[in-house]
Amino acid sequence: MDKRVIFSVAGSGKTSYIIDGLEESSRALVVTYTDKNALNLRVRVFRKFGYIPAGIKIYTYYRFLYSFCCKPILGHEIPSKGITWELPPRFAKKTSIEHYVDASRRLYGNRIAKLLDVAGVFPELIERIEKYFDYIYIDEVQDFAGNDFNLLCRLAEADVQQLLVGDFFQHTFDTSRDGNVNGNLHDDYSTYKAKFVEAGFVVDSDLLSHSYRCSPTVCAFVSENLGIDIQSHRADETEVTLIECREHANRIFNCCETVKLFYQASNRYDGFTENWGATKGQNCYEDVCVVLNPSTFKLFQESALKKLAPQTKNKLYVACTRANRHLFFVPEAMYKQHRK
Amino acid sequence: MRTIDKVKLLNYKRFSSFEVSFSPDINLLIGDNEAGKSSILTAMELVVGGSKNKVELLGLESLFSTSVITEFLAGEKRVEDLPCLHIELHLNEQGNPDLFGRNNLDGVQANGLQLICEPSEELTSEIKQVLEKESGNFPFEYYSIRFLTFSGEAYTGYRKFLRYLALDSSQINSEYATKEYIKTVYESIVEHPVRVNLQNEYRQQKINFKDNNLAVVNDALDDYQFAVRSGYKSNLETDLTITEDDVPIEHRGKGRQCFIKTEFALRRYREEQRLDILLLEEPENHLSHTNMKRLIQRISESQAKQLFIATHSSLISTRLDLRNSVLLNSSSPEAVLLNDLPEDTSRFFMKAPDNNVLEFVLSSKVILVEGDAEYILIDAIYSNVTGSTLEADDVHVISVGGTSFKRYLDLAKFLNIRTAVVRDNDGDHQANCIESYEEYEGDNIQVFFDKDDANSTFEICLYALNQVICDELFSPGRRKLTPLGYMLKNKADCAFRLRDEKADQLISPEYIRQALAWINE
Repeated sequence: MDKRVIFSVAGSGKTSYIIDGLEESSRALVVTYTDKNALNLRVRVFRKFGYIPAGIKIYTYYRFLYSFCCKPILGHEIPSKGITWELPPRFAKKTSIEHYVDASRRLYGNRIAKLLDVAGVFPELIERIEKYFDYIYIDEVQDFAGNDFNLLCRLAEADVQQLLVGDFFQHTFDTSRDGNVNGNLHDDYSTYKAKFVEAGFVVDSDLLSHSYRCSPTVCAFVSENLGIDIQSHRADETEVTLIECREHANRIFNCCETVKLFYQASNRYDGFTENWGATKGQNCYEDVCVVLNPSTFKLFQESALKKLAPQTKNKLYVACTRANRHLFFVPEAMYKQHRK
Repeated sequence: MRTIDKVKLLNYKRFSSFEVSFSPDINLLIGDNEAGKSSILTAMELVVGGSKNKVELLGLESLFSTSVITEFLAGEKRVEDLPCLHIELHLNEQGNPDLFGRNNLDGVQANGLQLICEPSEELTSEIKQVLEKESGNFPFEYYSIRFLTFSGEAYTGYRKFLRYLALDSSQINSEYATKEYIKTVYESIVEHPVRVNLQNEYRQQKINFKDNNLAVVNDALDDYQFAVRSGYKSNLETDLTITEDDVPIEHRGKGRQCFIKTEFALRRYREEQRLDILLLEEPENHLSHTNMKRLIQRISESQAKQLFIATHSSLISTRLDLRNSVLLNSSSPEAVLLNDLPEDTSRFFMKAPDNNVLEFVLSSKVILVEGDAEYILIDAIYSNVTGSTLEADDVHVISVGGTSFKRYLDLAKFLNIRTAVVRDNDGDHQANCIESYEEYEGDNIQVFFDKDDANSTFEICLYALNQVICDELFSPGRRKLTPLGYMLKNKADCAFRLRDEKADQLISPEYIRQALAWINE
């Protein structure tokens, strides 16, 4: 069975790659992290077949974890009423139920994967997956962290074809965290890849290394300034410009077709705005205006964006690579008067 | 094909704990009154229907096992001991992970659906207050009603895991039941897109009617106009009926209605037509003998549907193969499946003359007699010998006619029914009455006969002991035949006259006396 992790770059068509692999008669498990992505996948499957074939199940990660993995297998033994995002008690023993379940019988979200392991039901889970599916597709695989990453590695045992896709540099949040479980997972790209190899996956970084969405100009900017390798399938030139004229900046702000991407708190600005991290997986923007907060702007001016904290750098990477055409940068200070 | 493999009940109606497996095609639920046949059909309907409303309509009070409630109220009445009601349907493999998991009573991996009624956790302190009161008040109102698949997912009736149709012939005239029936059949025959389209067309026609035909009236009016009603309560599906020869079914007689409804539901018009389960409650009601035979024919030919039939009719149960029967008994908590019955025996009952198999199967004490003469006289003899009556002692007598004793004994052996065979020795008691039954005789089966080979028939034995009354009744006006000769030629008639005129004077042959004593041991 082919078990493969494909590391792609932004806009290289990884979702399309998954959708292309699906057939009407496929028995396929498709897991992604966010609701938005699950909806997006559902829409794409619907567009391809005109309906959602019964054998294709699209889950968000937690729905998969809770409703597919945990509840059917452990629901009888450990009845639960849902998931809690509270932090588990620090001193409950690993073998005690309090380690996994709170007083009102909700499971600690970050420990569901661990519970499956400790309860010894992985073999049954693997059986369950093999019973219903011939393919596993996991999107945004870079976001798997903590106990969830361990689950991912164990799933490799399932005797079904597996395709995991993700972009290491789009790692902007974690499915969950639990103390130092896999705490250093994302520190180094090559050790990260090695983990997958160890679990039995073939790692492929070439297949989806070129972006359809971003122009060579945008790709060159990202490669040079953020140090993230990305190439383009295209040959056209687009603009990558720092806007220094206040009037021009205002024109962009008032333009309802150019999205303004903020590091955070975009909801405090009227108009077509969004946060950097929240645009992950989105492919609906023509021109993009990335708003730089003072510290990022400083590094931008020094051509030292590489020095950004990894999470921030990744979010900026996501933001920049949303552009199908032009990419504008505006210092946040220029938009002070638009702030609510 | 989607089928129900097994039903498990906990604290439901008369079943405090019960489980029964079903076959994927025909299942005949047989049993006497109050055995729980309809309860099982209702249980399946509730779970497949997934409607909380329906559960509430029936009321938890009527669904809960009364004995369990009584027991609880008589005990310490602790909140944590409150009984829960479970109805579980185990299904065959459906390829749907949403149905598969361990969320069931036994915690086993299976496909299935269930209804759970348990005390609502949020109301624990209120329940405590109710229980603390000195009264037989059971907190039914504080129970929650949940429908869950075995994967632990909640579901409602909108998710059609199984398509079913329930036909209850006792409600055949109810307007509501007929509407539901028509709706279900229509949905199973017509695909969703077509239904939507027809629904839309129908509404358009109403609008057209208003614009074109009602215009005559409306033109004379100004602000207030007449229109044709349209909406939830009046649309195509509420207005549909089913006709036969242009007569709507609700205008047919009850019998015909029963027949049409069952027949129509059994048919299959398209390959993908989806009706997985048909629940028939006493289909024999209102049906004439001929119609019943036709219906049985139709049922036995139906394919690709799982049928559950609750019946009192011997004809239905034997003709549809006794091996499909699930026997429920009000005195026992266990269901007995007849699927291991020898095939030739069940085939025999399928072809045998109309008989009383069901009566036999449902009895605990049975006397099998050889012919009509014995059958006619046995209750008189019984009263004379025991001083009691057959009904009072719950003894059933069946005339099996000739040599088919063994078929009944197969059943008796299988079901452990205490059975006395009363037969003639036909001139060779060793061969006819002993050797022939060697494999059957046991604690619950005994053969009774006259050990003197000269007493070859019942009439000979009877005449010997009752010569005076027989001569009195049968000799006058007869020259050619002796009274005994006449009795042997006219067995049933003579038995009837003896029964009618000399019942209290009859002396019983010894072997029958023994049989009667043994049956009540």
